[in-house]
This record gives sequence, C-alpha cells and structure tokens, in this order.
Amino acid sequence: MHNCRETKDRLAEMVLDGIDCGAELEACAECSSEFAALNATLRMTRRVSETAAPAENYWSGYHARLRQKLATATSTSHAESQRREEELGPLFATLRLCVRSSIRVPVPLAIALVILSLALGVFAIRRREQPVAQPPMLVHVPVEVPVVQEKLVTRVVYRDRRSSSRTSRRAVNDARAESTFARSRKPATEEIPATLTGFKPTEEVKLTVIKGGVPNEK
Amino acid sequence: MAESDADLIKRAQAKDLDAFCLLAERYARRIHLLASHYCQNTQDAEDLSQEVWLKAYQAVQTFRFDSSFYTWLRRITINTFLNHRRSNFFRRRGQTTAVQLLELDSDDSGELVESRSVSPENIYNKLLFESVVNALAELTPSQRLAFLLRHYEGMSYGEIANAMNCSTGTVKKGVWRAIAKLRARLSPEAEAPDGLTDLASEY
Repeated sequence: MHNCRETKDRLAEMVLDGIDCGAELEACAECSSEFAALNATLRMTRRVSETAAPAENYWSGYHARLRQKLATATSTSHAESQRREEELGPLFATLRLCVRSSIRVPVPLAIALVILSLALGVFAIRRREQPVAQPPMLVHVPVEVPVVQEKLVTRVVYRDRRSSSRTSRRAVNDARAESTFARSRKPATEEIPATLTGFKPTEEVKLTVIKGGVPNEK
Repeated sequence: MAESDADLIKRAQAKDLDAFCLLAERYARRIHLLASHYCQNTQDAEDLSQEVWLKAYQAVQTFRFDSSFYTWLRRITINTFLNHRRSNFFRRRGQTTAVQLLELDSDDSGELVESRSVSPENIYNKLLFESVVNALAELTPSQRLAFLLRHYEGMSYGEIANAMNCSTGTVKKGVWRAIAKLRARLSPEAEAPDGLTDLASEY
C-alpha cells in the first residue's frame, strides 16, 4: 500500500543513493514528480560543480603558491628549531665545558673534598629524613588563680504577725462584728448562776426584738 | 610510470617536499571543490584548501597506512573546516562570484576565448554555481558540510556523524534541509538569476 508521507521521507535517500524505486513511485504521480525534481536538482548541482571548477591554468598557479607556502612553513619551523637551539646553546656549552675541563688538584685536598662532600651528603639525607616541622603539642598546666570570696551573713528577725499593718479593712470589720456578738452573748452565759440562791427577779423586763427571725417565733 | 601513493607518502615522511607536492596535485581538486562549496568565495576556498595541505604536511609523519591517504586527508579537511567555522575566517562572505567579461578585440581575449572561462555555457554554469553556493549559504556550516560530504564524497550518515562528532539524526536533518533549499532555489518555478530559467530547463 503506497503511503505518500513515508515515501516523501525516503525520497532524499532514494535520490542520494541512486535507488531505483520506479515501481513504488508509479502508484503516485505526486511522489513521482517530487522524486524527479529532487533528482534533477542534485544532478544539476553535481554537474555545475564539475563544470564550474577552476580552469587548468589556475591549478599551476595554485600548486606554485602551495609549494611556496609549504617551503615557507618548513623553513620557518627549521629556523624556529635553530633559534631554540641557539637560545639553549650557551647553557649546554657551559655544561659541556664543566664536564670536559680538568683542573690539577693535590691528592690530600681531593680526598678531603671527597670526604667533606660525603659528610655533607649524609648530613643532608639525615636532615631530610627528620620531620621538617613537628605539629605543635598542647600541654595542659593547671594554674591557681586567687579569687576574692564574699562572706554572706544572715540574721533571723522575728516579727509579730498580729501587728501586721497589712490587715484589710474587711477583716477589721469582721473582727468588730465578732467582738460585738461575743459581748452580747457573754453576759448571758456568765450571768446565769449555777444555782438559784440569791435569785431576785427584776422589776423591769427588757425585751429585745430581732427582726428577720423565724416567722413562727413570737 | 607514476609513483604510488604509498611511495610518495614515505618520501614525504622523509621530508621530501616534491613528493608531498605530487600527492597534493593528485587530490587538490577534490579538496578545493569541497572548500569552494563550503566557503562561498574563491579566495577563501583557496586559502582554506591550502591550509588543509599545510596541516597534512605537518602531520604526514603520523600517517600509519591504516586507511587510504584520501580518507586520512579528508579527516584533516573536516577538522580544518569545522575549526574555521568557529573562527572569523570567512571575511569576504557574501561577495559574489566575479565573471570577467572582456571585449573580443582586447589583448587578453585570445587566451580567454580558448579557455572555457568566457563561453556562454561557462558563464551560465558560474551563475548557477553561485545559486547553489547561495542556497548552501543559508544553512549552518555543519549542515552544509554534512551535505557536501554526503553528496560529493558519498560518505554514509554514520561516517559523517563520526567525523563531525554529532548524531546521525543531526546529519540527516542537515542533508535534508540542504536538499530542500537547493530544490527551492534551483527548481524551474523558482526565480532564476538574470533570467536563466530557460537555460536551467535544458538540464
């Protein structure tokens, strides 16, 4: 079954790879014309590129210029390496001179120099073996510091609780009422004699009526 | 009898400039073709292609005969093109192709008439080539390079993706966009430059 969308996705591959897909494209005129147009475009592009290439006389000049560039690049790199050698030359010459030159030295002095150099070498090696810098050690030392101690003196003070001036007004009133009631009741109990001897009835009866009492009471 | 590539390479590795120039003569046109499509300018194309040869000359010592010389050279070409994409190399971008038209009675006319540079077909080809280059100029450098490698070099999508260090899908997309641009530019329905529609239909 022909599918235009799938075919169009593959058209570029068909053209670039030169795949013969006549049977597939025969079914659809649109796909077929699209294929032909793409094919013609790419064929034209290729042909134009071939024919629009520079003429033969251009290439002789091109290669001459290329040769010149290559020669210049080669000479430049050669000159650069020579310059580097020249820069490092004096250093190497001094080293060579040190190696090749010979100075007359007396044997005892030479032996002393060898021993000295050996001793210095051993000393240097030992020095290197030792730790260069030890980490600082922390030592805790107790130090007595005189401290001024304060003495606390306490004194117990006793005070009368009844004489407190903080007594509330209500409490005063309550106390007054209580004392009045007590005074009214006290003579009644005190005046009752234990016996009736010497009892003498009073000539006047004093009645005290208390309002708000029990209703049945007279 | 012409020397083989292998012999020339060995001589070039021994710093023989003549041998390397012979190698350059064999492959210079292919490299230049890619460069001329990539740069949109003849002078830039020459500079870029010659830079490829300079790099190849400096690196020829590293050639180990694992692949063909052209495959190795093409890799250098792609890397050089991609490096120039990042730099501000293409100074003369947008400059049109110069078609030199001289009078027939001028002193230089004899030589030029003999060559194909002023023939009507060649003028047409140059203008058409300019249309192709302009169509490719509308693409990104990566898309343009992908199309050139696919169309002119016949490389597979996988090879191009590997060489350009990108995915196969990116390469396919670039190639397809290039073809669509070219189709739009070069189809007979499109407006051809300087009334070349009739000539284009001959193709």
